[in-house]
Amino acid sequence: MNEAEKEYISPVGEGLYSANTGDWRTQKPEIDQETCSRCGTCLIYCPTSSVRRADGRFIINLSFCKGCGVCAAECPNGCIAMTREAKR
Amino acid sequence: MNALDLLAEREDMISPGISACVGCNVELTLRIVMKVLGPNTVLAIPPGCMGGVGVVGWNKRSGAKVPVFFPLLDNTASMLAGIRLAYDAKGKDANIVAFAGDGATVDAGFQALSGVAERGDRIIYICYDNEGYMNTGYQRSSSTSKGSWTSTTPVSKDGHGGKRQNGKDFPMIMAMHDIPYVATASPAYVPDLIRKVEEAMKVRDGLAYIHVYNPCLTGWGIRAEESISVARLAVKTRYFPLYEARRREFRITVPVPKPLPIENFTSRIKKFSHLGPEAIADLGKLAEDRYAFLQSLCRGKDNNA
Amino acid sequence: MSEIAVMNGNFAAATAARLARPEVIAAYPITPQTPVVEYLTQFAAEGNLGSKMSEVESEHSAMSILSGASMAGARCYTATSSQGLALMYEPYFRASTLRLPIVMNIVNREMISPQSVWGGPQDSLTLRDAGWLQIYVEDNQEILDTTIQAFRIAEDQRVLLPINVCYDGFYLSHMTERVEVPTQAQVDGFLPPYIAKHQILDPARPMAIDPLTSGYLVMEYRKKHMAAQAAALGVLAEVDREYESLTGRSWGGAIASYRMEDAEYAVVTMGSVTGACREMIDEKRSRGIRVGLVKIRCLRPFPREAVMRALSTVKGFGVIDRNVSFGWNHGIVYQEVKAALYGADRIVPSVPFIGGLGGEDITMDLVSTACDTMIEAVDAGKTIHEAVWLWSPRKGVKL
Repeated sequence: MNEAEKEYISPVGEGLYSANTGDWRTQKPEIDQETCSRCGTCLIYCPTSSVRRADGRFIINLSFCKGCGVCAAECPNGCIAMTREAKR
Repeated sequence: MNALDLLAEREDMISPGISACVGCNVELTLRIVMKVLGPNTVLAIPPGCMGGVGVVGWNKRSGAKVPVFFPLLDNTASMLAGIRLAYDAKGKDANIVAFAGDGATVDAGFQALSGVAERGDRIIYICYDNEGYMNTGYQRSSSTSKGSWTSTTPVSKDGHGGKRQNGKDFPMIMAMHDIPYVATASPAYVPDLIRKVEEAMKVRDGLAYIHVYNPCLTGWGIRAEESISVARLAVKTRYFPLYEARRREFRITVPVPKPLPIENFTSRIKKFSHLGPEAIADLGKLAEDRYAFLQSLCRGKDNNA
Repeated sequence: MSEIAVMNGNFAAATAARLARPEVIAAYPITPQTPVVEYLTQFAAEGNLGSKMSEVESEHSAMSILSGASMAGARCYTATSSQGLALMYEPYFRASTLRLPIVMNIVNREMISPQSVWGGPQDSLTLRDAGWLQIYVEDNQEILDTTIQAFRIAEDQRVLLPINVCYDGFYLSHMTERVEVPTQAQVDGFLPPYIAKHQILDPARPMAIDPLTSGYLVMEYRKKHMAAQAAALGVLAEVDREYESLTGRSWGGAIASYRMEDAEYAVVTMGSVTGACREMIDEKRSRGIRVGLVKIRCLRPFPREAVMRALSTVKGFGVIDRNVSFGWNHGIVYQEVKAALYGADRIVPSVPFIGGLGGEDITMDLVSTACDTMIEAVDAGKTIHEAVWLWSPRKGVKL
């Protein structure tokens, strides 16, 4: 869209809107990489897509993680701990 | 591609920060569905939870990386049919997709959806059924389970009230339109969900309809971390069976040979907490009746479990 | 070369739609619009219409399908009447606020109750504030010409608004007249393909259409919408001139005056009743009464300046309304005309008339009596504030 057309005449949205949902967290997940079986269940069920896979390991990006605890509850090995979020 | 590889490798098409409730399994469902559909998709999000949390965006910003818009509550299917006609006229193709709540689907949007089903407009319609108008504080819909507390079917202090009627068996109603593809799905059964979205994408001759059962944490009163386990129990108690139907060909995709007692599901949900054993047993009976009916439609198949 | 044909108003509308080559058509049949849908489907069956057509299950879905199609960049056409328009109100309002240049003929029909299927513009007039452009026409040639022009006006980058071309049910929709039909090549030259620049649903250019929006932006969009309505007046005149150079026919733009040059009195009309009034004016003129006629073509945007200029130079005027404005005790067009005159140098006496509801005939006798009533009031320097009803005598009925 050129600059002249940026002067929207109808309600159009461009560029991504993101709420800072990481701020909502009262508890945060932590994966114990020692006991993790690399099954990826946490990645599959994370509602915010905050788990990524890198070199076979699963890593939680806390930027948008709301701290729901689904990953910990679903982990078949019980290797994800939810700990209280420090005051920010 | 297996489910894990697909979810690990595909780009998330939705904004990373949408204001869905903590643990919301609809947010999960949407992200999964959109990873399967990919970037060549036009997405309709009618008024409801996903619209309210910002998937269509906010003040000149978008909530998704694909073209996305708000249809009206009651015209999602017809607006998508119009987009398909325009694409056909221009010789373009894309996944033309609705991600709509049960209010926009089984209530106000039903006529438009039924019309699209009958005419054979080629769209994919995904309903996230959380049994009511959750975005505005849980008012009843015609998908709400019997007995449920909702803000418009309240419960008195001495425990009387709740919704008086069973919810519509909506996926079955859609199947009876003889459309090319109908499926039920659950956020607890992700590979099954992914495969069904892929099947829907293959449909060339009409409507593909997927009905996802999404227990609502906030509205129903479920602990956030139990988001997936309660959805799973709906399937394991036969309360929400997972199947697919191609025109008149039905198939149960996740057979439940030994169902768990219905209490395993209902006891985790606060909206049923006022119900006595009889009312709970009624819900169990409904689940058994509907499952038996479904099995009768699958006669001759090997999944009569 | 253009072709001379005899056709009813619905065929004229369908023919105009065919010539405009809409990419998507969705229409639901309703009396008296039904033949439009039948003609279009027949054109398609004969291979003479390339549009993608949807046989929808309701008018609500007709407008919804066109809204989706227009958001995907397609030229769109539909037609409806009365209850059908009422049913599509929700997507109708939204088509304008999303700036979707959809063209829709409205075959004007009375709103029920009482149960009625006959003519009257109450349907579209009631929706005059829903943001669409609305043009009202007088005969079948004007239906055809204006419907073709409507695509140009709606899709103009200065406008980008949906448009209604409204014509009276049965009086025009089902009556045959001589109509000159331009060739496809003429129309193609006049009407370039529609290219959506302001918004598009296209994965190649992902955007959100209609995200949640704060009040201050709502005000911004409304202000631009109003400006586009105002711009449409100039575009309408421009398009009329260009069409005239192509076909030799001009419809006068937003208003069309008849024998107003030296008029002392004026009768204001809209729609097919204008024909009877022209004859009545000729008859009065032949007796030396200096009365002229102002036909309102464009109700939205309302041509305030043109109406003010036309009516502030006469001694007084009357307005014949085929509709009512509940709560005002007169018709809607009268109310609009009055509002336009607020800025005039002098306020002249006027008389509102209501007649022809539910398809009731407005006869020569009735418009002649109306004219006499108006002249009498004007000469007495008196404005009549409540509508004078135009009743035809009925045998055995006391009114």
